[in-house]
Amino acid sequence: MANINRREFLRLGLSAGSLLALGSSSDLVTKVFGKQETHKKAIILGLDGMDPHLTELWMSQGKLPAFAKLRAQGDFRTLETSIPPQSPVAWSNFITGMNPGGHGIFDFLKRDPQYYIPAFSGAETHDPSKTISIGNLVFPLSGGSYENLMRGRAFWQILEDYDIPATIFKMPSNFPPVETSQRTLSGMGTPDITGSVGEFNYYTTEVTELKQDIGGGAIHEVYVIGNRVEAKLPGPTNTFKKNHPESSIDFKVFIDPVHPLAKIVIQDHEFILKEKEWSNWKKVSFPMIPTQSVGGICMFYLKQVRPEFKLYISPVNIDPADPAMPISTPESYAKELAKKFGSFYTKGLPADFKAITHGVLDEEEYLAQDDTVLKERIEMFEYELSRFESGLLFYYVSSTDQRQHMFWRFIDKASPMHDPRLVSQYGDAIENIYKEADKILDMALKKADKDTVIMVMSDHGFTPFRRTFNVNTWLKENGYIRLINNWKQGQEEFFMNTDWSKTKAYSYGLNSLYINEKGREGEGIVNPGTEKEALVREIAQKLEQVIDPATGERVITNAYVTKDVYQPQQREQAPDIVMGFNRGYRTAWSAPLGRIDKKVFDDNMDKWSGDHCMDPVVCPGILFANQRIKAESPALYDLTPTILSLFGIEKPKEMIGKKVL
Amino acid sequence: MGKAKIKLDKDLLEKVKKYAEMSGYSSPEEFITHCLEKEISKLEESDSEEEIKKKLKGLGYIS
Repeated sequence: MANINRREFLRLGLSAGSLLALGSSSDLVTKVFGKQETHKKAIILGLDGMDPHLTELWMSQGKLPAFAKLRAQGDFRTLETSIPPQSPVAWSNFITGMNPGGHGIFDFLKRDPQYYIPAFSGAETHDPSKTISIGNLVFPLSGGSYENLMRGRAFWQILEDYDIPATIFKMPSNFPPVETSQRTLSGMGTPDITGSVGEFNYYTTEVTELKQDIGGGAIHEVYVIGNRVEAKLPGPTNTFKKNHPESSIDFKVFIDPVHPLAKIVIQDHEFILKEKEWSNWKKVSFPMIPTQSVGGICMFYLKQVRPEFKLYISPVNIDPADPAMPISTPESYAKELAKKFGSFYTKGLPADFKAITHGVLDEEEYLAQDDTVLKERIEMFEYELSRFESGLLFYYVSSTDQRQHMFWRFIDKASPMHDPRLVSQYGDAIENIYKEADKILDMALKKADKDTVIMVMSDHGFTPFRRTFNVNTWLKENGYIRLINNWKQGQEEFFMNTDWSKTKAYSYGLNSLYINEKGREGEGIVNPGTEKEALVREIAQKLEQVIDPATGERVITNAYVTKDVYQPQQREQAPDIVMGFNRGYRTAWSAPLGRIDKKVFDDNMDKWSGDHCMDPVVCPGILFANQRIKAESPALYDLTPTILSLFGIEKPKEMIGKKVL
Repeated sequence: MGKAKIKLDKDLLEKVKKYAEMSGYSSPEEFITHCLEKEISKLEESDSEEEIKKKLKGLGYIS
């Protein structure tokens, strides 16, 4: 391995671990666990991104009666989030009762220090270790596998040790679900059928909509010939074939010559959609070899029939009735839900961020999609509540986070993307999702009896995202990154134009900064020990002094030296500095993948106008409980020992938090 | 930098000189090197690299 270069490394597909490991089998236990009767009960609602300032504001205006009632019964505090306040990191703090130094999830992205290549930090796919090739086909002799990279034990695994039953619904960072006999359904981090975060497909005749390399989706040019469109729906790469070609399914659309509707024919489905109508879930099956196929589910949206034809197909989600990857424990849990409710969104972050960002879905269409997500979740929550008798029920909502990211510009007049003309239409989108959260809480309150502890928490709050800061450009301008060719600046990702022999530091991910350390990085030059230590302090200090010339504001309020703030177990893998951005600032769009733009600062001209990848100090989460909260400043990792203590369980020694109730 | 010479058609060379200057390159050699490297990198860029970029960019937080 040490002898291959970075491009060869990429060509061999060794970096992202993201191919679908076909032919895999899960070792997860199938027995449903935890039938000990306990009179103690706890319901925890995890409302992603729910912000304390907005919650307080709308409570004070009488718009969130269930939250107000819970506060009156018990307590309300802001909740200290993780360093950095990114969802996979924050939820891992909550799950394990440790900080990132303990659980090893430091950012959405990690990097391979040998080759300076980024990858998702949460999970890895391992291809089958033994295969046999016959002609053009490659057959697995042993199953591929998926590995959740979060270290430490999840609190529901500890509850299991004590025979306390738990249902954990859509917990982020729990893909693949950690081994347990408890009932769990995986959440954020669960890929679509292609193994990615989510790839929509959009078919259009409008040439101006055709863009390449959009990320998160594909735009296909189609032709209407005799009122008919023929196209292909791309699927997962076919690991049964050499070179892993992409699989696909042919489909046809027959356009009504008079009315604004069309018939879609795909495999054994034939259905008619009116213009601006969504289909329900459709099962599709991607053929691999004659005896093997991979199934998934997707929704169709006929955006426009004439004059231009426009059809959106959602990312193909893993079919919960027949999952191609492990998404639940026991395996039968996802199937049980699918049998009762039909197909449902299994992919993490289900509403299609990328489709609205690229203008494929407009605001109204995005909200309609997210409403479907919410409706599915509420139905399943009702079901879980109705059969909840003892132990713990954790239930997660993604829509609070997803709507704030996209609709913050309507409540922030200082946003470069604020459009007063649309405020009357979408200005209440965030308030409305808080009201929906209130209704969900009300359902839980009605279920609770005197033995039930109720907690409502969020992983972080929200802040405006108005200005971008490209730390890699800043590093270059301050002499810490040297380019091979200056005139190529801004063109390449993955630091392809970087002279590592003269580069001292670089940033991958949303808040992470790494020293180019000798012996750790493939072409490291900074000696570990005092030289590195001095450089870390120097860069951290300089970052905290950066001022945005356009506003006069500080950009980074705290540059956290991880050696000072993380526990030691997994710290070797940690970035050296975590950048805590000021309110309104975030890393530039291209910096997380190692692109060095020409400008250090820019306005954020994206619909994605609210964010939380800032300084934890500026975006704490919420904590409500129907008991008094003893701690003045509770933190996410305090909730884990708190949950255990509700059931009389001592916290394990690796947990750093303290109980708060 | 190596000293190998490449023959160019006279008209093309004039265009190279003109556009190199217009685009802010420090010399026609730098402009030609850029063009060649850009084309070669397209040929060299593996499917996996594109695939990885595509998958990572699916995350809403980056583009």
